[in-house]
Amino acid sequence: MTASRFLRHETILAVLVVIALIVLGAQSDKFFTLDNLLNQGRLMTEVGLIAIVMTFVIITGGIDLSVGSILGLSAILLGVFWKNLGLPLELAIFLALCVGTLAGFVNGIIITRFRFPPLIATLGTLALYRGMAEGISQARSVRGYPDWFYILGQGQSFGIPTQLWLLVFVAIVAAIILGTTTWGRATYAIGSNETAARFSGLRVDWVKIAIYSASGFAAALAAVIFVSRVSTTRSDMGTGIELDAITAVVLGGTSIFGGKGTIVGTMLGLILIQALKNGLSLAGVKSDGTIVLIGAVLILTILVSNVIYRGGTR
Amino acid sequence: MTSAVPVSLHSISKSFAGIPVLRNIDFDVRSGEVHALLGENGAGKSTLIKIIAGVHAPDSGTIRLGETTYTAVSPKEARRGGVATVYQELLLFPELTVAENVFLGNAPPNKAGMLDWTAMRRGARQLLDSLDSPDLDVDAKVGTLSVANRQRVEIAKALSQDAKVLIMDEPTAALADADIRRLIAVVKRLRDRGVGIIYVSHKLPEIFELADRVTVLRDGALIGTRPIGEVTEQTLVSMMVGREIDHLFPRGEPNIGEVLLRVDHLGFGARVRDISFELHKGEILGLAGLVGSGRTELALTIFGITPATSGTITLDGQPVTISSPKQARNLGIAYVPEDRGLQGLVRPMTIAQNNSMASLHNVARGIFINVATELKRGADSITKLGIRARGPDQVVGQLSGGNQQKVVLGKWLETAPRILIMDEPTRGIDVGAKAEIHALMSRLAGDGMAILMISSELPEILGMSDRVLVMHGGRLMATIDRADATPETVGAAMTQASAHEVAA
Repeated sequence: MTASRFLRHETILAVLVVIALIVLGAQSDKFFTLDNLLNQGRLMTEVGLIAIVMTFVIITGGIDLSVGSILGLSAILLGVFWKNLGLPLELAIFLALCVGTLAGFVNGIIITRFRFPPLIATLGTLALYRGMAEGISQARSVRGYPDWFYILGQGQSFGIPTQLWLLVFVAIVAAIILGTTTWGRATYAIGSNETAARFSGLRVDWVKIAIYSASGFAAALAAVIFVSRVSTTRSDMGTGIELDAITAVVLGGTSIFGGKGTIVGTMLGLILIQALKNGLSLAGVKSDGTIVLIGAVLILTILVSNVIYRGGTR
Repeated sequence: MTSAVPVSLHSISKSFAGIPVLRNIDFDVRSGEVHALLGENGAGKSTLIKIIAGVHAPDSGTIRLGETTYTAVSPKEARRGGVATVYQELLLFPELTVAENVFLGNAPPNKAGMLDWTAMRRGARQLLDSLDSPDLDVDAKVGTLSVANRQRVEIAKALSQDAKVLIMDEPTAALADADIRRLIAVVKRLRDRGVGIIYVSHKLPEIFELADRVTVLRDGALIGTRPIGEVTEQTLVSMMVGREIDHLFPRGEPNIGEVLLRVDHLGFGARVRDISFELHKGEILGLAGLVGSGRTELALTIFGITPATSGTITLDGQPVTISSPKQARNLGIAYVPEDRGLQGLVRPMTIAQNNSMASLHNVARGIFINVATELKRGADSITKLGIRARGPDQVVGQLSGGNQQKVVLGKWLETAPRILIMDEPTRGIDVGAKAEIHALMSRLAGDGMAILMISSELPEILGMSDRVLVMHGGRLMATIDRADATPETVGAAMTQASAHEVAA
C-alpha cells in the first residue's frame, strides 16, 4: 500500500510506453508530429473519462459493463431533448448528464440494495439501457447542431483539443480524490475487505452508489463529447467502449479482485493502447493485427507484474 | 468388527506455524462404542479428528487403523481403513440427488461400466431405511432437504463406504429438538451394529446419554479418558476449564460507576430474544454461552450491523436508535469483532491505515487525509498497546495473531469509545498476548470504560468479569455476580438450558 510498492507496476508500464513510443516513432514519420499526437489525445478522451471512473469501480471489487449503453442512451436523449422537444441545447446537455448519472445510480441501487453481483447487475442494464436507446431513437440520427457545440469535440483551446483539457482535469481531480481523501481510502478499504470496512463504520453502500453514479456521469460526459466530435447521434454509439475502458484500467495495474490500483496506471494504460493503435496503423499494420497485439501486451504486462509481485507479501 | 480397536493414536503431536495445538495425545475408539471428545474452543478437538480423517499429518506419533500402522494417513487411506467423517459444515452436493450423493465416488458400475442407477437407488433406499428414515426420497435434490435430513444423507454416505469408525463433529449444533432426538436414536443404532463413533459435542446432556467413554482435551493436552460412569457434569467442566484461574487474570478491585447502557427487551428476529440488562461505567460484563447461543448476534444488534427488530437501547438515560455501525460509533460504542481477519482488519493495508479506519476524522482535514498525522497516531497506538511491528507503515497481514488483535483494538480506541464490546478478545492468540490484552481491559475499565466481553473460554469469563450474563437459544438465562460465579454455577447455567433442550 505504500507509494513505492504501488508504483512498481506503473514503472513497468511507463518503461513500456516509452519503448512503444520509440519503436512506433521509428516506423513512421507521421507518428511524432504534434498534429498526430494531439489528434490521438482527442480520440482517447471518451474512453479515458470512462476508464478513470472505472478505476474506482474496479478498486471496490466491482465492474460496470453498462457504460457503453449509458453513453448511447445519453447521446440519443441529448438529440431528442434538443431536436424533438425543442429544448435549448445547454439544457439538453445538462439533462443528458443527469440521465447518465441516474442510470449509474440505478446500477448502484441494484448492487447495494438488492445485493446483485456488479457483473450481473450491469450486464442486465447493459442490455436494458441499450434497448431503451434504440427504442427511443427508432434508428433515426440527429444532426445539425449549432456551431458552438462542436468546439467541445472538434475545437481547440490554447492549441490543445478542448476535450483533452477536460480529460487532464478529470484525471487530476480523480487522482487527488483516490490518493489523498477519505473517499479514496474508503474505496480501497471496500475493495480489500468490504466486511471490515462496514464493521469500521464506513458508509460502504453510500460510497458504492456514489461511485456507480459517477461512472454513469462519466459515460454521459463522454457521450456529449462523442456527439460533438462526430457531429451526429446514433443509438449504437459507445458499443463495446466498456471493454476498451476495462482493458486500460487492468493494463494500468488495477486488480480485478479489488483493493489495488491508481489513476496514473490507468492513464498510462490508456496512452499505451492508443499509441499502439495509432502507431501500428501508421506503420501499415492491419487493424486485426493491432487488436491481437493489444491483447498480447495486456496479458504479458500483467504476467510480468505478477511474477515480480509474487516476491512480495500478498 | 474385524478388530476390536479400529482406530488408535499414540503420542500424536502437531503444531501450526510453531504454535503447538496437540501434545502427545493417546486416543482410541473401540468397535460398538461412542467415545465423546470434549474441550473448549481451541483445545485441539478439530485438529485431532482431522488427523484421523487424513486431512492433517501429525508432526510425530503413530496412527493405527485396523492392523496397519501409519505415521500419517491420507484421506484415501483413512477411508479405506474404514474411517468416515460427518463434518459440521456438511460436504454434500446440493444439485445432486440423495442417491447420487450417497454413492458419489464409490458408485456401483453395471456390466457396461456405466453407472447402475437402479442399484444406486436401491442401495440408498436400504441405507436410509436402516437409519430409520423411510420418509427420505432418494430422488430428491439434496439442496432441498433440511439440515437434519442432509445429515442423514451424510451418515448414509459414510455407511455406504462400510465405515468402521464414524467421526461426528458437533452433529447437533444446528438441529432442532425433535431432530436431535432422532439423531441420538440413529447414533445408538449404529453403535449397536458395531460401528465405533467419535462424538464431538459441547452439549453435556447428550454426552451423558450417548457416550461410553469421554476424553477431555485442554490447550492441546490430554487431560484424561474416563468411562462415563466415573464422571459428573461438574468434573467434566472442571476438567475442561482446569487451571487456577486467579493467577492468570489480574483483575484489580473494580471501580463501578452509574449505568451507561441499558437494554430493554431487545430482539433481532429469532436469534436475539427479549434481552434486558444494564452495563455500568468501569464494569467488565462477561457474556457466556455455548456456540450459537446468540451472544455475537446480540453484540451485532447493539452495534447496528443487524439493527434491533424490537426493544429499546438507552444510553445515558436517553433512548437511542442504532441502525448502522456508523451511528453506534458516533454514540461511543466500539465493537472488536469475533473474526479479526474477516471483520476486523484490512490486511493488505498498513497498521497506520487500519488504525485510522474507524476514525478518519481524526487524521483528515476536511476530506483530505494527513498522512503524517496518520503515521504518528499509528506509531502512538503501537507504543500504547505494545504492538510488535517494524513501524506504522508495516502491512497488517504480516503481523502475528496477537498483534493483529491489538491493531483492531487500537483502531477502536482511536474512536474514544465509552462502551467497548469485545467478541472473543483472545481467541487464537498466544498466552503472552492474551495476558497483555487482559491487563489492558482491566486498565480501560479502571479508566471508566464499560466493557461487554463475549467469550467461550470459561476461565476468561470467570477471571475478568464483574458480572456474568449467560445466554442460550437467543435468550438471557442467568445473571451471576462475581462472588457467585464459579465454573460450576456458570457451567450449570449454560448446560441446564441444554439439558432442558434435550429433554424436550
